Amino acid sequence: MSFYQQPLLWFLCAAAIPVIIHLLNRRRHKTVQWAAMQFLLKATRESRGKKKLRHILILTARALGIAALATAAARPMIGGLLGWGASQVDTVVFILDRSASMETTADQASQSRRELAIDRVKDAMKSLDATKLVLIDSATSTPQDIPSPEALAEITNTKASSAAADIPALLQRAAEFILETKPGRTEIWIASDMQYADWDKDSERWATTRASLASTPQKTSVRILSLSTPSKSNISLSILSSHRSSDDLLLDLEVIRSGDSSSALNLPLTIALNGTKTTDSITIPGQTLRFQKRIKLPKDQVEGQGWLTLPSDANPNDHTVFFTYGAARPVKTLIVSAAGEAASYLAASAAPPGFAGQSSETIAPSQFLTKVNSLSDYAAIIWSAPLPDEGMTLPLNTFLTTGGHVIFVAPQENSTSTFNKIAWSPISTAPEGKFFILKNWNHDDGLLRDSLSGTALAGQTMKAIKRQIPTAPAGTFSTLAAWDDDSPFLTRLVMERGTAWFIATTPNYTWSNLGDAHLLLPALQRAVLAGSARFDSALLADVNRGDALPRNNETRTRIDDYIIDQKSDATFSAGVYRLGERVIATNVPVSEHEPLSIQKAELESIMQGVSYRTFEDTSTTSTASEEREIWKLFLAGVLFFLIAEALLCLPKPVKDSPTLANQKPKAI
Amino acid sequence: MSQLLDHDLLARLGAIPAEARVPMLGNVAGKHRSPHRGSSVEFAEYRKYVPGDDTRRLDWKAYARSDRFYIKEFEADTNLRVYFVVDNSGSMNFSDKGISKIDYARRIVANLAYLFVNQGDAAGLSVCRDTLHIEIPPRRRPAHLQLITHTLESLEPKGETGLVAALHAVAEKVGQRAVIVILSDLFCDTPALEEALQHLRYRKHDICMFHLMDPQEIAFHFDRPHRFVDMEDNTTLVVEPNLISDEYQAALQEFLVNVKVACHNVHADYQLVTTDTPLEPLLRDFLLNRLPKKGKR
Repeated sequence: MSFYQQPLLWFLCAAAIPVIIHLLNRRRHKTVQWAAMQFLLKATRESRGKKKLRHILILTARALGIAALATAAARPMIGGLLGWGASQVDTVVFILDRSASMETTADQASQSRRELAIDRVKDAMKSLDATKLVLIDSATSTPQDIPSPEALAEITNTKASSAAADIPALLQRAAEFILETKPGRTEIWIASDMQYADWDKDSERWATTRASLASTPQKTSVRILSLSTPSKSNISLSILSSHRSSDDLLLDLEVIRSGDSSSALNLPLTIALNGTKTTDSITIPGQTLRFQKRIKLPKDQVEGQGWLTLPSDANPNDHTVFFTYGAARPVKTLIVSAAGEAASYLAASAAPPGFAGQSSETIAPSQFLTKVNSLSDYAAIIWSAPLPDEGMTLPLNTFLTTGGHVIFVAPQENSTSTFNKIAWSPISTAPEGKFFILKNWNHDDGLLRDSLSGTALAGQTMKAIKRQIPTAPAGTFSTLAAWDDDSPFLTRLVMERGTAWFIATTPNYTWSNLGDAHLLLPALQRAVLAGSARFDSALLADVNRGDALPRNNETRTRIDDYIIDQKSDATFSAGVYRLGERVIATNVPVSEHEPLSIQKAELESIMQGVSYRTFEDTSTTSTASEEREIWKLFLAGVLFFLIAEALLCLPKPVKDSPTLANQKPKAI
Repeated sequence: MSQLLDHDLLARLGAIPAEARVPMLGNVAGKHRSPHRGSSVEFAEYRKYVPGDDTRRLDWKAYARSDRFYIKEFEADTNLRVYFVVDNSGSMNFSDKGISKIDYARRIVANLAYLFVNQGDAAGLSVCRDTLHIEIPPRRRPAHLQLITHTLESLEPKGETGLVAALHAVAEKVGQRAVIVILSDLFCDTPALEEALQHLRYRKHDICMFHLMDPQEIAFHFDRPHRFVDMEDNTTLVVEPNLISDEYQAALQEFLVNVKVACHNVHADYQLVTTDTPLEPLLRDFLLNRLPKKGKR
């Protein structure tokens, strides 16, 4: 509930007047000498209770009557944004979440959540005279003055986008804007569908945002319009990765189905490849389906683009994915190792003969510097030798930071050299008749994670006679698998876009059974594929992120033939774009498909110390929750309290003046 | 003469005899019935002659009719003693607008004493606070009235009520039958009061009770909070009369009923009197009500 004439609420203090009068009246009593004290004492004892309650009720009715009158004079409003926002402020900073998920249409609704939010704010702003409106939308994150609320629905920055929203960043931007411009009494209004990923409760930005909000000159309050009404049945399609293998394009796709998912659903999947459309069908057995779509590419075309789409549903922005492809690049692995059994196993696992055009090249450590200039052609480097010296470390670091993967395996000899503070321990041997056994490993992350189908790798078969443990100051790397004595077996050091892996033994039967391929083959293949992904990643990006953003002097042109909605902002729509000389397919971020919402407790946690209110808008039309003035209700309340007070004050039936005649004792 | 006496009033009430409701035992001849047989003109009864009786009192006409000897007996008339017991506690000093209860009691006592003495009866006065502290024995002399009125005028009400103890003391001290006129607001323990009245009744006294109340004590009409100070023990109490008026009236009614029941049980002549009541009708009704009913004496 809010008020058009908020200053009049000061008159609420007048509610204390009856109580003050009562107290003053009690204080200015008159003193009389009295003889019949015994009746007074008895009457006082017996009057505690009903009479006092009646008196308290009278006082309460008077106080509430005045309070209701003051409230009615302040013109209270409820419903819609009225209860949510309208109050006396100089500036409203409106943060609009126009992420892809905001295009969802609620069940039985005709407008998307974004359109509803705009209508709500438009109506609320009409009630606020002379209040300045500043828009910060989730796609541009740039404050923009809005001349009139009517313009909100018309400007480009409120149109639909396929990008994600970073609410903590937007809130921080709003706080910075307030600090920079000092716009007087300011409120921040956030319209969002409360999507878990957009609010990113674990973001480190929240601390800064809270501090920024606290440092604003006048305490800024935040009002959150939550548009999380359940949507109609919706099916979203997202692309996890694309990879060209010879004449095939392999697309890892995911379908998420919201609403009733108790029965399998058969849907047509339309595929457009370089302007040629074909239709396939997919069956979604439950809520989620992950599958790989293999698209046969024309032999005469080195590069191309296309899109896949499912039938339109509650959200027109999340059922189409775009892709592009270029010439297939060979997947090569460089093995730095002295010749021997370990080198053979590593080469066979990194590039199994005849598998997907993969290849490997084995060189001695001393030859590594000759390959420095061509390292960018390799997907991964396997280092089975003492750690590189200073001269070799620099190109290896460059390889790692640009997205390459380096797998260090135990060098089989003691060495004191280090790589980014990590060193190999001296060789340790298991006691006679015993083995080092792999005990724990991360099933969700790393090279030994479970497969897409959920099958775990056969880590329990891993045994070693000898080992060399990677050592480093605490916090340098993370351990993803450990021996039975808790010393690390597999560790990871992330270096910008690339990763260095350390395996604490080697595929040599005098050392371990790592060469049996239960672990080595999938682990190295995963590392190699991850390393080669950087060749394809330049072709696929999330809207408004990373490679999708134009670089210096790059002009941006859409080249796909998908017809976009008029409601969409073309700048932030998913599609295939030519940026200068490169072509990139941009898609709705996968996180936008997640149906998870941030919970109240989590919201409280991240907004700790910030004055905020949440309005749950469950209506489905723009007029459903328009504000209503309810001063009449309060006037009725005044009437009610006055009548109640009058009834309580009504004197009892008048008795005759007590004289001797009528005060005769009752009959005995 | 004392200002307490209203001569016009006395002149108008002088024709009404002040009677006792029970036979009195006086020491001289008077106007009141005696339990003994005497020589008045009022026939009492016949009784059989027994040897030793005065033969002059034989009813010869009855002997002629019945051939038996009967003695004709007549009522004896005697005077009475009236004791006025006045409550002189602090509460008797209360007055809201008119005169105080003690002033009203003074006037009743003075005028009644005059009427009794004037018809040859003896009047005495007992005044009590927490104990019986003034005792004037009954005398028939008109000059005795001056002592009573002077004593009444000098009364200063204060202290707590010791009426119950005073009544017990009077019952013990007054040996012969007498009229006991009590003037008090009776702000004491009612069961104890009833016991004291029973004591008086046991001594065969004729009890008259003037229960004095101020009109404000009955009406209890106050329009704003008051701090009430007890006139007997200075206890204070701040209350809003509006809030407790009903409970006050209920307590008062209960008290009045209890007092009346207590007086009824001892056949006392009970009069609830407010101090705004004119004295003449009060005393006239009091005297008239005490006259013997027709056919009775």
